Amino acid sequence: MSLELLWSPFVDFAFMRRALLGGAALAISAAPLGVFLQLRRLSLMGDAIAHGILPGAALGFWLYGLSLPALTLGGLVAGLGMAGLAAWVTRRTGLREDASLAAIYPISLASGVLLLGLAGNKLDLLHLLFGSVLAVDPPTLNGMLLVSIGSLLLLALIYRWLLLDSLDPLFLAGVSRFGPLAYGLFLALVVLNLVVGFQAIGALMVVGLMMLPAAAARFWSRHLPRLLLLAAGIGASCVWLGLLLSYYANLPSGPCIVLLAGLAYISSVVFGPQNGLLRRPPRLSPAP
Amino acid sequence: MIHCHNLQWGPAGQPLTPPLNLYLARASLTGVIGGNGCGKSSLLKVIAGIARPLRGHIELSVAPLGGVAYLVQQQALDRQFPITLQDLVSAGLWRSRLSRPQRQARLEQALADWGLSALAQHSLQALSGGELQRALLARLSLTDAQILLLDEPEAALDEPGLALLWQHIARWQAEGRTQIIVSHALSHMSQHLDNALLLSRSGCIFAPIRELIGQHSALEQVA
Repeated sequence: MSLELLWSPFVDFAFMRRALLGGAALAISAAPLGVFLQLRRLSLMGDAIAHGILPGAALGFWLYGLSLPALTLGGLVAGLGMAGLAAWVTRRTGLREDASLAAIYPISLASGVLLLGLAGNKLDLLHLLFGSVLAVDPPTLNGMLLVSIGSLLLLALIYRWLLLDSLDPLFLAGVSRFGPLAYGLFLALVVLNLVVGFQAIGALMVVGLMMLPAAAARFWSRHLPRLLLLAAGIGASCVWLGLLLSYYANLPSGPCIVLLAGLAYISSVVFGPQNGLLRRPPRLSPAP
Repeated sequence: MIHCHNLQWGPAGQPLTPPLNLYLARASLTGVIGGNGCGKSSLLKVIAGIARPLRGHIELSVAPLGGVAYLVQQQALDRQFPITLQDLVSAGLWRSRLSRPQRQARLEQALADWGLSALAQHSLQALSGGELQRALLARLSLTDAQILLLDEPEAALDEPGLALLWQHIARWQAEGRTQIIVSHALSHMSQHLDNALLLSRSGCIFAPIRELIGQHSALEQVA
């Protein structure tokens, strides 16, 4: 037993290296988005969008076969369309956003399955939803790295606006007109990360990488920048350890990664210093 | 400064009062009083541009951005939000062009003014209602807004907090800022304010606050 076991599969096999690089990059850009989704009480948004991507990807597959740009573009249009439609219904009717999302995503999912059926069912639905990180080829890896870096940069740019828009949109509206745009860009980033992830580790697996590290990190810090770093770190470590687990135990990689993130979440719920189960509530400090 | 023309507001199709015509001069300090549901907070939201009027319109002679500051009711904030009190207050300097050290100095001054210096690094969750209210007021005091709309600014404040509040309101008036205050604390209002607007379904009355409170019928509607 040596420490070498922790990295030898990545040294020995190019496909493992690509899986690690791509998966970790995606985890690092998706987890901070998950933190913001959670702060805005839109934790289920990622889940809904991940299903909403399907008809677009299916249409792309039907028309152009298994082509990366077609699948990506189709998924992007469908995901953005669904998020936009939900936001529009909410604005026009006052129906809460989670309710309109919950209403729209079964429609997307059903039409996606229907389209896949029409396309002759050559593309496996389970593959779209759960994917296989070991199938990351060099073009996909480049796409993942590009999206990850671009998404981190854009998030850093809109950070100030997104933060205040999540906490106190009325105050932001009084001092800046950029709030709604920042929110729109943020949603676009969520869709983009999910779309790029769905071909590699599967749409529902990316949601796991987006939301589980974010949920776990909240039990460790009350400081937003630290939360973002922590979530990204947890996500990337889960990709690394999950790949090792899948390699040595000969298990499917996606579920290994997400279940490890789930383990991180559950142990945070139990041991986390911020409201974790094993922590007693802080003593009241005397008023100054 | 603030000019309302035939203004009506409220839920769609149900204006809360007859049309309101009102002119408030620069540096004026006006209370808005009336019973629950008479449209006090909604009026502030319409003036702040957050809600649309049902009829009529408002002219404000300030910059469209940063000209109006609205003191939000603190229930609107998520107390779980992972930032410190200092982060919250510093948003008041959003449009400020000051250098970084100057901003830091103003921030520290505002925290000290509102008795918050020791709490600067506390998370929102760790604050009491009164402390959060002071933080929101400190944020407001850092803005350069020329119109201040205060919705129940005395909420959750203790006696020293109230004293600070009225002291600042007087200072803001001296600086030439126009203020509208919605409140149920009639005794405080009548001590510190000149004029008030009484809202009710039957009509809007703008008059010296002592007269409004003196009127028995008006008082009944308010109480």
